[in-house]
Amino acid sequence: MKKLIIATLGLALTATFFSSCKKWVDYNPHEDYRITDLDYLKSESHYRTMAVSVYTPLQWLNQAVPVGDIASDNAVSGGENASDVLSLQQIDDYTLTPVNSTLTELWQAAYEGINRANYMHQYKQTNKAGETINFAGKDALYGEIYFLRAYYYFHLVRFFGDVPLFTDKRLGLSESQSLQRAPKADVYKQIETDLTAAIATLPAVQVEKGRITKYAAQALLGKVYLYQSKFDAAATVLESVITSNAFSLVSNFSGMYLATGENGPESVFEIQYSNTSPYYNWGGVTRGQGNLSVQQCGIRGLNGSAAMPYSAGWSTNLPTANLANAYAAGDQRKAATILDIEAYKTANPSFGITYQVAPFKNTGLYNQKYLPRKGETSGQVELNYLNNFRTIRYAEVLLMAAEAFNRSTSPNDTKAQGYLNQVRQRAFSDNLHNITATGATLKQAIWDERRLELAMEGDRFFDLVRTGQAAAKITGFQSGKMNYSRFPSRK
Amino acid sequence: MKLKLGMLCLSLLAAGFLLGQSITISGKVSSKSSGDPLAGANITVKGGSTTVATDAKGSFTMSVPGPGSVLVISYVGMKTLEFTVVNTNSPLLIQLEDAAASTGQEVIVVGYGTQRVTKVSGAISTIKSADIEKLRPVRAEEALQGVLPGVNVIQSGSPGSKPTVLIRGIPSFSGTDPVVVIDGVPQTLTDLNSLNAADIESINVLKDAATTAIYGVKGGNGVIVVTTRTGRKNQKTEIGINSSYGIQEVMNTVGVLNASEYGAMINEGSTVAGGNAIFPNLSLLGVGTNWQNEVFKTASVQTHNISARGGSEKMNYFLSGGFLSQGGIVGGNDKSVFSRANLTANLNFDLSNKVRLIINTTGVRLDGKGLQENSFNSVLGSALNFDPTVPVLNNAAGTPGKYGFSNLLLSEVFNPLTKLDNTFNKNVGTKIYGKFELQYDVLSNLKLTSRFGYTKYDGNSRSFTPLVFYGPSNVDNSLNADGSTVAGKHNSVAHEKASNFNFTWESFANYNFKIKDDHHFETVLGFSVAKISGNAAGATRQDVPFNSWEFADFTAATGNNNATNSNALGGYYYQYFRRNLSFFGRVNYDYKDRYLASFTARRDGSYAFGVDNKYANFFSGSAGWVVSREKFFKSDFIDHLKIRGSYGSIGNENVDPQYVGIVTGGPSYGSTANSNGYSFNDVFFPGSTVGSAANEALRWEKQLQVNAGFDMTFFKRRFSLTADYFQKKVDGLLFTPSASLYLGTVPIPTANIGSTKSSGIDLTLGYNQTIGKSFKLNTSFTFTTAKNEVTATNSDGTAKILGGYYFNGQSQSVTVFEKGQTPGYFLGYKTMGLFQNAAEIAAAPVQTGAVPGDIRFVDVNGDGVISAADQTKIGDPFPDFTIGWNLGLEFKNFDFTAFTYASVGNDVYSAWERNANYSNKYRAILARWTGENTTNDSRYPRYSFTDANSNIRVSDRYVEDGSFIKIKNLQLGYTFPAKMTKNVFSRLRFYVQVKNAITLTKYSGFDPEIAGGILDSGIDRGAYPQARTYSVGLDIKL
Repeated sequence: MKKLIIATLGLALTATFFSSCKKWVDYNPHEDYRITDLDYLKSESHYRTMAVSVYTPLQWLNQAVPVGDIASDNAVSGGENASDVLSLQQIDDYTLTPVNSTLTELWQAAYEGINRANYMHQYKQTNKAGETINFAGKDALYGEIYFLRAYYYFHLVRFFGDVPLFTDKRLGLSESQSLQRAPKADVYKQIETDLTAAIATLPAVQVEKGRITKYAAQALLGKVYLYQSKFDAAATVLESVITSNAFSLVSNFSGMYLATGENGPESVFEIQYSNTSPYYNWGGVTRGQGNLSVQQCGIRGLNGSAAMPYSAGWSTNLPTANLANAYAAGDQRKAATILDIEAYKTANPSFGITYQVAPFKNTGLYNQKYLPRKGETSGQVELNYLNNFRTIRYAEVLLMAAEAFNRSTSPNDTKAQGYLNQVRQRAFSDNLHNITATGATLKQAIWDERRLELAMEGDRFFDLVRTGQAAAKITGFQSGKMNYSRFPSRK
Repeated sequence: MKLKLGMLCLSLLAAGFLLGQSITISGKVSSKSSGDPLAGANITVKGGSTTVATDAKGSFTMSVPGPGSVLVISYVGMKTLEFTVVNTNSPLLIQLEDAAASTGQEVIVVGYGTQRVTKVSGAISTIKSADIEKLRPVRAEEALQGVLPGVNVIQSGSPGSKPTVLIRGIPSFSGTDPVVVIDGVPQTLTDLNSLNAADIESINVLKDAATTAIYGVKGGNGVIVVTTRTGRKNQKTEIGINSSYGIQEVMNTVGVLNASEYGAMINEGSTVAGGNAIFPNLSLLGVGTNWQNEVFKTASVQTHNISARGGSEKMNYFLSGGFLSQGGIVGGNDKSVFSRANLTANLNFDLSNKVRLIINTTGVRLDGKGLQENSFNSVLGSALNFDPTVPVLNNAAGTPGKYGFSNLLLSEVFNPLTKLDNTFNKNVGTKIYGKFELQYDVLSNLKLTSRFGYTKYDGNSRSFTPLVFYGPSNVDNSLNADGSTVAGKHNSVAHEKASNFNFTWESFANYNFKIKDDHHFETVLGFSVAKISGNAAGATRQDVPFNSWEFADFTAATGNNNATNSNALGGYYYQYFRRNLSFFGRVNYDYKDRYLASFTARRDGSYAFGVDNKYANFFSGSAGWVVSREKFFKSDFIDHLKIRGSYGSIGNENVDPQYVGIVTGGPSYGSTANSNGYSFNDVFFPGSTVGSAANEALRWEKQLQVNAGFDMTFFKRRFSLTADYFQKKVDGLLFTPSASLYLGTVPIPTANIGSTKSSGIDLTLGYNQTIGKSFKLNTSFTFTTAKNEVTATNSDGTAKILGGYYFNGQSQSVTVFEKGQTPGYFLGYKTMGLFQNAAEIAAAPVQTGAVPGDIRFVDVNGDGVISAADQTKIGDPFPDFTIGWNLGLEFKNFDFTAFTYASVGNDVYSAWERNANYSNKYRAILARWTGENTTNDSRYPRYSFTDANSNIRVSDRYVEDGSFIKIKNLQLGYTFPAKMTKNVFSRLRFYVQVKNAITLTKYSGFDPEIAGGILDSGIDRGAYPQARTYSVGLDIKL
């Protein structure tokens, strides 16, 4: 009897044991308190929070700005030596190889933005669990998302030409290596579709500055049309930004680049950075809330009295003498764009400035628009400068409109001159420098003005390529090497 | 006829045994090799219950049933002897042989059981306590280096740090650590830091599939089986005390420039680049400061152990207490130290004559302090790179800080003493580990065992980051020159409490039987349930009062978060776990100890894998043939010969479960920095996104291993030779695929892609001889070699993993794990001398930025341009082979041990130079190119502040042959004669020891032995060198 009991008990225990075995090796992420895709997008707050992170990769495109000038006649790479910032050196020297860490980053970051936008698009109607979440302002929120997707594709198409195009979902490992590059025209078409959708739902004003407005979408659409030489369409959409009277030119040009000038009356679209969330990750230098390119622009070993406003940096992205010489006398933009350190030192003896001459590719000139300033960073000081990128300013809207009207099927040079001269009048604080030329001369004048107005803002290289001036203006320029740059090696 | 006579004798004996009266016998037990009496030897009558122990003189008296009684005499470290009593009138003189010298009866511990050495047909290497004791290692792995063939140990000099241990090459990417099993309980290599070497009875390393397959999915990197000491039944209490004290010092320093040379080079660098001389008057500089001499200190190392063991009829015990403390030679005991205190109780109870309870418990306290290591701006890296013109002490009146500063180096590299002085941390850990094991002898040949093994660790660490002044205009200052705090800077204190609890519950049955006397079977069948779990919580706070370590505590600090500073006060918590479930079985078979075979099966389940791949099966088999037992085998030369072979599969599960997770928050510090959130008008908004991806098809990494070898003793058993050849193939390698970059920055999940192949030879040759009465010699060589190759990764072979990152002015990576190459090989440019003149540059492939005096790189792909595509293999950090040579001599009361270890063919990548304009330089720069035909050595290009050619890029310029021969251990001991000490001690030995006495190498840095797993081994970023240690010690037995 005893044996029987023991045997039964043993059997029962064994059975219990084996049935609990299966459970023992099962795994549920909730055991690790992890939220999965099935748990998410279940409320308005989820949708809004996730939309914020569609903006995030904008910050990661940080190096697109220095590259836009270094690859052109505006700036040189600089740095500590030829091995420092190797990828920028290669871009500067046109010795690019398919392995270029900066271009790889610019490719991958933009696609992360697209995947984030796609994920939200994928679950717009119903979430992963099959539920529909409706809330007021959902369409306007998606307007921001579609703008961002368009911006990322525009970034890609400007840099790389034909690129893989997908809009329906976030891609997974199984789609790796499966996509071919889509023709540029198809990519532009998608950008137009997204921007048009965005314009239809976006508000004209956003309470939180830095969020996309309807005008930002219109301005970007105008730029996209210009890149495709669709001048009539560009003129129409840009004109609507201008006639909205939502923007104005800031009279003090240099003040616009100070912290106090951020998101000002001229700002149409700014990529936001801040120093309020200190970041420390050297493993991902552009992935915090700070602007790395500001640190790059700084003067090496700079030191001086407390009153001296600037901080030291890495002497990278140095403006060329060619750019400095392009400004006419009396143009307030020159001093706001370029700092001649020796001249500055001489002019301000009370600062007691000492600094290290840029050890590589020295021009003696520095990027005044984005020079690092004391008190504007935090945490790991190199990584947390607060300076926003003034990505689309009203001045550029005017210049784009000028070009669109000048190059329309039925040109309107008067209008074009008017817009151009608004920009010049601000620059010279007078009417004496107005342009009166028409036709092709006016077109060239607008292009030249774009360089002066937008210098060191990362637009020059793409402008030169777009307008067919690259080969003439850039030493060492090789079409096909940086002109619609090479594909990063790992697609 | 003969047989019948024998039978008759036997029956007569048996009759005598049964009928005879008990008689009293006496005798003396001594060591056959030394002749010394053995005190405390156990003597039992076979089949009876009487047990006695010998006294201090080795004498005993006992009663036995009569002539023909068989005595079983056992003594620790000696071969157990069965002695038949024939003559009962005169005292018996019994001599025991050393266990090490015997070959037949030794039992070794294998997975879930033991096996007689003679019956083993797999590949196992063993080291015994006597050999471990000789080395006195801080960590047990140290004792394996060069001693066990097939085991490659690469040590680090940092006190208590984990070495790289490779058992038979590098088959896998996701971790190379072998499994460690202590007294049957699985632990990790990291846990060996808490094991007192003095408590170890033996270490067996299981190398081939036949022996490791019973550990299934965890066995892929080999298994280290540690057995700790136990007492014996009816053993008289034996007390052992040993104690040693040593002084450690650095073996060599690296030749960097002195102040005058430095000034001259800086001037040259500046003027060649078109600048001004930095030091207008070199004659003022002198030799300056040698920073290495300032940071290297002598540090102490000490160990003290006391142990007791013994037993009664119903229980036996081993008790031990130990203390070890090792200071670091960088900064001395104050800043860098590892100390450990152990208390162990291993207790065995006979609950009844069939049930045994075994309780092993070890409590450990681990204390440590550490400093920044292994980078150009670590304490050691700074000592190498810092400005030698700076005086040791700060002589700038009114500025804070005790030590001098540089006016040239304004970031990254600081005065190493300032760095050392401002390093404050402390880590205290307590750990308890052990097992509860119940054994039940159901039948004499059927035993059930149920074992619960556990490890519990609690760590508590604290560190303090003070405000520091590094010199005027230094960008990293947090104190201004006037002693005020730099705006926005804070000091901070960080606390962390981490704990984990791991257990394994295993139950198995051992059943041994024989068929027709000669067919022996030993079987085991069981299951294992394991769980690892842990958590950690930490808190940080800024504004520690008085900027002082004394007040570095969360409660004393005053920081509070506010609108402009969200880092004043912070905290975090995380937890983790793993679960496994396994079933296993094994059959060992032998026929007359002549033909051996073994078959093992294991079924493993892991929580980490996809639903369809939860379980996997692992099978292995081995066979052996003891040729020397064959009748036809007649050799006077060969005493014993066994041929072995095995084949089987094992696995690897070093991966976490995968799922599509959503992460919410801000910046990511993960591998792809897949950050969230955005700032709208300087107000931060957290965001959320997909943070991880899943690969449903994830499964085990499967390894197939074949082993062939033999064991042989020859020439009157004086020589022994064991040799094994192995080949491993891994398929379904757990590896991160190279995915299209258009997938974005969600980390790509690990997948089963690729394969590797490793093969090699393990060999041991031993020799021992006794010459005359008082001279004994034993010596052994081991030889280990392994060749590894990654045979496939993803479908197009493009997936690779880069490592060996360092910084010398730009972020560089040196090592690669990719298809077609050995794991962790060095990738870089090949050099071929220097450009002597412009004509050579013009004639050479296009090399951007080159001027005469620059390095000429090799156009490997022949496309006429020097580009990234020309990078090729320039080195391999892992040795072609290693050799260990152990020599032991005994003469009368003196004993001498010498252990020499050689590693051949391991390359070192010298990456400690910052190469900043004003950082100090390796003195070979004095032989630099200064004009046409001054030198054509690629290592010595021209020196200039501007380096348009990028002479500092990753190239073979920095690769050096790191082959070395180290005399790791020299020890001379003297054992006081028994007659001097017998009243107090049963043994008293005094010794002197030198560790790392001599290193012979061509390597120019500190130490060519640089540990770092697959991707960081052999990269010298100013790695912590091993110390030379002089010590004295005492061994006492009471």
